[in-house]
Amino acid sequence: MSPVPSPAPAAARTATSATTIAVEAVGLTFPSKSGEPTVALGEVSCRFAPGKVTAIIGPSGCGKSTLLQIVRGFLAPTRGTLRFLLLGGDGATDAAATPRDVAAPHMATVWQAFNLFPWRTVIDNVAFGLEVAGVPKAERLARARKALAAVDLGGFEQKYPRQLSGGMRQRVGIARALVMEPEVLLLDEPFGALDAQTRLVLQEQLATLVERSGTTAILVTHSIEEAILLADTILVMTARPGRIAAEIHDDLPHPRSMATTHDPRFAALFDRIYGLLRQEVIRAMATEGGDA
Amino acid sequence: MSPDTTAGPLASPDTAPAAPSRGLLARLGEPKALSWIAVAVVILAWELAVIVLQLNPIYLPRPSRIVVALFEMFRSGGLATDLIATLIRIFGGFFIALAFGVALGVWMAVSVRVRAIADNFIAALYPLPKVTLIPLLIIWLGTGGPFMLTISMLGAFFPVVINTVLGISQCDQGLVLAARDLGASRRQIIRMVLLPSAIPSIFAGIRLGLGVSIILVVAAEMVVGKLGLGARLYLAGQVLETEQVFAVLIVLATLGIVVTKVQDAIDVRLGHWRVN
Repeated sequence: MSPVPSPAPAAARTATSATTIAVEAVGLTFPSKSGEPTVALGEVSCRFAPGKVTAIIGPSGCGKSTLLQIVRGFLAPTRGTLRFLLLGGDGATDAAATPRDVAAPHMATVWQAFNLFPWRTVIDNVAFGLEVAGVPKAERLARARKALAAVDLGGFEQKYPRQLSGGMRQRVGIARALVMEPEVLLLDEPFGALDAQTRLVLQEQLATLVERSGTTAILVTHSIEEAILLADTILVMTARPGRIAAEIHDDLPHPRSMATTHDPRFAALFDRIYGLLRQEVIRAMATEGGDA
Repeated sequence: MSPDTTAGPLASPDTAPAAPSRGLLARLGEPKALSWIAVAVVILAWELAVIVLQLNPIYLPRPSRIVVALFEMFRSGGLATDLIATLIRIFGGFFIALAFGVALGVWMAVSVRVRAIADNFIAALYPLPKVTLIPLLIIWLGTGGPFMLTISMLGAFFPVVINTVLGISQCDQGLVLAARDLGASRRQIIRMVLLPSAIPSIFAGIRLGLGVSIILVVAAEMVVGKLGLGARLYLAGQVLETEQVFAVLIVLATLGIVVTKVQDAIDVRLGHWRVN
């Protein structure tokens, strides 16, 4: 069992999405004044399956955060297309096999830099998305309070972000995203700014929360351990210009916790990913040295 | 506890136990008491110096006489009317400048085109000493209320615009992205992210601007010379009523103190999220 208190049984899934995110030969190149254009993202094709957690791992500068911003719609790709598909068959009784294009699912992001509004209290930060959506005050505060309780921050509602530790701030960030009940949760190196111990605890907590909510999640991370602990699928990217080097299936049993890291299958996955990343990181360091 | 009561980052009012048995001398040494004691000492020295050196009151009247003159002017000399007129001119113009300044500043900060259009005008008008506009404004507007409101507005407008633009441009882009991610529209981002994050900077602009407005209104009143503290000051000087000159200066200095303290209080209230 996970040592993290879980108030609701794992079966209570809320916002279930059926939309598959299909990234088809997507790339992004910025023109630059000094001749050579900057390739922010090479050519990437992948799919993010509904209700699954997909981790994207790769060396610095490979474009994994760029890919996340493209999926979110904040960056427009210069090549390829991004599609949102409703796939027939899988799970459904009528096997209407042709995929159907649908509207973009509702997404919410957890940021590496937290990006909390410093002039808003914790609860007002969490309620921000509901406030702009026009949810009445009493309701949005009640929902925000519940979301805060889910990340063990009950009692901190009236504090300001500056009064919290890094780990607590990111839990506010997680609550702020989850309160929107997103169909897709985007995690952009969510624990990158935290110390190693806080990171471990939050990884476990997030694993439980994501599992319980049943959302599709895309996790961009530098940490192999984090990717294995949280994801169902791990995409390993190459050094710049970033492409997908491998798609690795992670079928370690749930719920996962720190104990999972002692599983021999964990070690096997770790070694495989590390083997792939090692060459890429070395390659990235070599080209970065050349750039600078 | 150490007897050192210096207020500062090291002093922690929460943990310091109350010390009722502290001596009078120690209490007089407290920074707050000390700042008022210094004022009292200077005034007393002034009073004594005038008496002992038998100075001509046309050059330097005694503080006690100045206070008497001040009360006389308020009681029967209509100084209250002048004070009110000056205040209305200062704050009337200031609030117009604040409303338009923040609006233009936001617009400039979020639209490259508006900024391009406004930039050169602001670059030309901001450093121009606004008192130099008094003759032109009198030609255009006369010497009545519109003139006074305009000169006051001109003083506060530019610092407010410039600081609003600055504050919004310095807003953390991560916060804007987070707001967009949570579904905020452009208007909501301006109202709920850009403006609040620019408040410290806008407040710095208000401090500068209100100061300039006060200077300009009093200077304009001295030039036009009918009603207002500036007019009273100028007229008293013309007839060598030095006590009245000092009395008006005291009113102006007090106005400055009140304005500063009120700004401090609002600043603390709006910026409470910045302190722990």
